[in-house]
Amino acid sequence: MEKQSGYTWKLGMFVTIGLVLFVMAIYFIGKQKNLFGSTFHITSQFKTVSGLEVGNNVRFSGINVGTVEQIQLKNDSTVIVVLVMKEEVRKFIKTDATASIGSDGLMGDKVLTISPGAKSQKMIEDNGTIASVDGIEMHDIMKSVKKSVDNIGVISDEIAIFSHSMNNGNGALARLVKDDKMANSVSNTLENLESGTKGFSDNMEAAKSNFLLRGYYKKKEKQKEKKLEEQKEKQEEAKEKAAKEKEQKEKELKEQKEKEEKQKQEEAKKAEAAKK
Amino acid sequence: MILSLKNIFTEIGETALFAKKFFKEVFIPPYETKEFLKQCYIIGYKSLPLVAITGFIMGLVLTLQSRPTLVKFGAESWLPGMVALSLIREIAPVITALICAGKISSGIGAELGSMKVTEQIDAMEVSAVNPYNYLVVTRVLACTLMVPILVFFADAIGIIGGYVGINIHGDVNFYRFLTQIIQSLEFLDLFPATIKTFFFGFVIGMIGCYKGFTASNGTESVGQAANSAVVTASLSIFIIDMVAVQITDLFF
Repeated sequence: MEKQSGYTWKLGMFVTIGLVLFVMAIYFIGKQKNLFGSTFHITSQFKTVSGLEVGNNVRFSGINVGTVEQIQLKNDSTVIVVLVMKEEVRKFIKTDATASIGSDGLMGDKVLTISPGAKSQKMIEDNGTIASVDGIEMHDIMKSVKKSVDNIGVISDEIAIFSHSMNNGNGALARLVKDDKMANSVSNTLENLESGTKGFSDNMEAAKSNFLLRGYYKKKEKQKEKKLEEQKEKQEEAKEKAAKEKEQKEKELKEQKEKEEKQKQEEAKKAEAAKK
Repeated sequence: MILSLKNIFTEIGETALFAKKFFKEVFIPPYETKEFLKQCYIIGYKSLPLVAITGFIMGLVLTLQSRPTLVKFGAESWLPGMVALSLIREIAPVITALICAGKISSGIGAELGSMKVTEQIDAMEVSAVNPYNYLVVTRVLACTLMVPILVFFADAIGIIGGYVGINIHGDVNFYRFLTQIIQSLEFLDLFPATIKTFFFGFVIGMIGCYKGFTASNGTESVGQAANSAVVTASLSIFIIDMVAVQITDLFF
């Protein structure tokens, strides 16, 4: 009997450890698939799931919080996706959250991402439904890329024609760019113009002091002064108006803030009540 | 040519009849519990060091060998998952079964063969002990149940070997390593591989026993029985593996 007990406990230990390893493997894989622990379900409808499969991860704020449990065709343009998620994240998912399908890296699996909504404060119910946002499909991207590439083709053709005519043509621009003589004559023309305008301004000064035209210029100055005064008055009036409007706005802002504070207080009360 | 073909079929047919007898005898008392436990101890516990060392080395080597390819694709983070997946699905069951075929099948073949040659089996029959029940059923049953457990050990130790292999080149936290493995595993990886190992165990025990039981008289045939037990068992393991993998592939 002693001999027997000598190996029996070793055998027992061997078998026990082996089975514990197996059970641990089952438990951890099951935990990964959310088989154990409390969970809840969410459904969402998509036009296309773009290769999402049962068992893919569900992410909320970048954290894996569940898996895709079921994918079903409802009709020819609607797919129902059922998600199973950990109970502890339920309080963070509101009724206006949205689901979208993306992929994990370039080559990775598809991932269903839940994005929080903005307004709703109501926690989602078990078996609740959330809206979906259709992801960007690869062929959509390709379409827009193709459009811009086509445009670029047209533009580059035109640029080619333009530069060709610039280099080889005989038009004004081409000659301006290429021809030395043309450039010289243009700069000569400009010099002439400068001296011409100087002479002209001298002429004008002379005309102002001429007694025949003096009356006309005086009248003009008087009109200018009048206009300036009128403008000043208008500006002052505008300032007064602006000040009044500001006061009104401030009043409205104050009222809004008060309202928001009241709302917050009410929400806090509600939350406390819910906790209780 | 035709004669040898006929011999092969005769052999297969006799093995099948031998196996059929096992299923009949398993449920018929007397149950040889004490002998069964002893065989479990010999087959399971005594094979553990061998299986542990091979498992560890397989995990380590697999990691080191597949690392350069994955690094080329920039997918080094998939290494733990890949190693664990190939270990659990294929390598640990087959390597463990082969090791067991070498250790257990040959041992049983030699043991029963020498008993047969020295006419101990006949003596048992005379003394009203059912030799099939006492010798074959206990050994085959012990093999069938112990090999899967040995495979669990090989899985676990192989994963530890993989961890060591990864830490030779990089630095990965053990917890992170385990989460990466569990993330890549599914039940579909674990269960078919486990079911497969029961068949491996059964074949290892059954072929060892058959070869020993049918050893012809003479000392020479003991060695032959042991030898052919190992060869046949190893070959059968690969054939069963192929069938099992195809069936799993078909259904899932």
